[in-house]
Amino acid sequence: MREIIRITNLEKVYDTGSVQVKALKGINFLVNEGEYVAIMGQSGSGKSTLMNILGCLDRPTSGTYLLDGEDVSSYSDDKLSWLRNKKIGFVFQSFNLISRTSSIKNVELPMIYAKVPATQRRKKAQELLEKVGLSQRMDHMPNELSGGQRQRVAIARALANDPPLILADEPTGNLDTASSVEIMELFTKLNNEGATVIIVTHEDDIAQFTKRIIRFRDGEIISDSEVKKS
Amino acid sequence: MMLLWENMKLAFSAIRINKMRSFLTMLGIIIGIAAVISIVSIGDTMRGVIADQFAGIGVNRVDVYLQSDDDTYDDSDLFSGDDIDKIRDTFGSNIEYLSGASNQKAVLIRNRTSENVIFNPVREGYTKVQPVDVVQGRMIDGKDNDGEKKNVVLEEKTAMKLFKTTNIVGRKIKVSYDSSSGSEVSEFSIVGVYRNSQTPLGKLLSGGSTEKAYIPESLVFNSDSEAFDLDMFVSPDANAQQFEKIFTGYVARLKNKNISNVVYYTAKSDMQSIDSIMSKLSAAVGAIAAISLLVGGIGIMNIMLVSVTERTREIGIRKALGARTIDILVQFLTESAIISAAGGVIGTSIGVGVVMIGGAVFGIRVIVNPITVIVAVCFSAAVGIFFGMFPARKAAKADPITALRYE
Ligand SMILES: Nc1ncnc2c1ncn2[C@@H]1O[C@H](COP(=O)(O)OP(=O)(O)O)[C@@H](O)[C@H]1O
Ligand SMILES: [Mg+2]
Repeated sequence: MREIIRITNLEKVYDTGSVQVKALKGINFLVNEGEYVAIMGQSGSGKSTLMNILGCLDRPTSGTYLLDGEDVSSYSDDKLSWLRNKKIGFVFQSFNLISRTSSIKNVELPMIYAKVPATQRRKKAQELLEKVGLSQRMDHMPNELSGGQRQRVAIARALANDPPLILADEPTGNLDTASSVEIMELFTKLNNEGATVIIVTHEDDIAQFTKRIIRFRDGEIISDSEVKKS
Repeated sequence: MMLLWENMKLAFSAIRINKMRSFLTMLGIIIGIAAVISIVSIGDTMRGVIADQFAGIGVNRVDVYLQSDDDTYDDSDLFSGDDIDKIRDTFGSNIEYLSGASNQKAVLIRNRTSENVIFNPVREGYTKVQPVDVVQGRMIDGKDNDGEKKNVVLEEKTAMKLFKTTNIVGRKIKVSYDSSSGSEVSEFSIVGVYRNSQTPLGKLLSGGSTEKAYIPESLVFNSDSEAFDLDMFVSPDANAQQFEKIFTGYVARLKNKNISNVVYYTAKSDMQSIDSIMSKLSAAVGAIAAISLLVGGIGIMNIMLVSVTERTREIGIRKALGARTIDILVQFLTESAIISAAGGVIGTSIGVGVVMIGGAVFGIRVIVNPITVIVAVCFSAAVGIFFGMFPARKAAKADPITALRYE
């Protein structure tokens, strides 16, 4: 079994002038290739802080983070850009599609920065949009799509460069129940196909789709257990 | 460099999304470039017109006269017909044409209409040094001079005014003028009609619009006459500087004067000084116009800063998906460079268009220097890159998490 994530004594302190906020207080855990993990916890417990570090959008204050065997804790900005591009597919709560830009162009974006040739890029983007069930919506602008459809475009975009790790920070947070189920089924399918998926949620129903739940409280892990399928 | 092409497509779509704003941003550059191009081109055109003007006077033409140190003059400062013959004999073919006769006013009278003209007394060979476009009949020649014939060559317009036709060779006209023996009224035969192809502006610059008529020199100037100055065309084969030295030396000896009292005036030196004044003037006005480019550049910077702020979230998304600092920098620089280069192209078209239309209206041969155009467009793109640098750096430095949180 290959390790995708190894985190040791990870700490994150936000220094906002007068007050110091300890968002992560020495976290340790491992995620192997092919795992399907939910991170749960109350609002403000440090879930997004952790996801941003896992997604190489931010650096820890101390501790180490091995991503796919590489210690990325002290990488330069451009090196982190490269890692985000190649190794990570990020899905956000607020979709974060580029406005006035078609679905297919949004999906092509990570491939542009990976310098994939245009024709190949377009073909891959089409395949991915088909995969998430949006073959009829390729040229739609984000504001012409429903929330669930937007999140599916975002997932297709996260898959563009075939990253080994998919991170989703409350991907169903802005969606109704039906769409949430669709999105979770999509993640389950991706996991079944071999992708490593980590999802942040505070809803038990959503967490039940995964195979392992890590619970947070005040910047610390309070439990880490397998999901018993009923 | 695939990204460059992607960036250009991105820039064009950003410009298209904000058409009105992009146009207003370009406006400063458009006005600046149009002003620079038209001012510099007008300057170049004026210099061209003046050069043509002097070519019309004759580049090898010299005006020679004597000037005493105390600015008074007497008979010893005049050239006699004899003096002129001596000069001709001495310099031979180095002098293409030499005449002591000066232009004079004359009145042409036909029935009850009269026309003021300038009589230009010419010798044989005048057309070799000053081309005359004869459209009817012939030019004044040697025989006219030898026989002191009262023949005249009129300008087309004079002919139309007096006869309502240019088909007048062989007809007679009454003339009031000053002959070598005093003021008189005589009948002249019209032997030819010529066309003056000067532009209206050219005429204005050559001083007055009175039409010229050519008559034989011998009618107004003979060996008993005295000339205040000499109208001389030096052979283009002669070394101009050397000729001037020898010639002024000779005239000084001939007239018993100091060399410093012999004025040897050529249009060339005047042309050079006017040319240098004109080029300095157009450079100065062009520099003032260039300031408007600076203002245009600041406009671009302002709009790009607004655009960067508006698109903070987009920048965050791009960075989250793998864009490096340089990618964002190039994206925004491309956009500002394209906006200002487009402004440059539009401004150039307007500037060139204005100058062309003006040239057509005034009937002037317009000079638009391609180097001016290239420099103007490159400069406008440079303005875009320079003033786009600060906003683009601001965008590129954005921290992805902060940018993603931006509402
Ligand atoms: N950029 C920041 N600056 C200062 N404090 C922050 C910042 N981001 C998060 N925090 C703080 O860190 C703690 C954890 O936040 P977060 O990771 O967003 O929690 P969650 O995603 O679990 O709701 C909170 O107390 C929050 O106020
Ligand atoms: Mg959160």
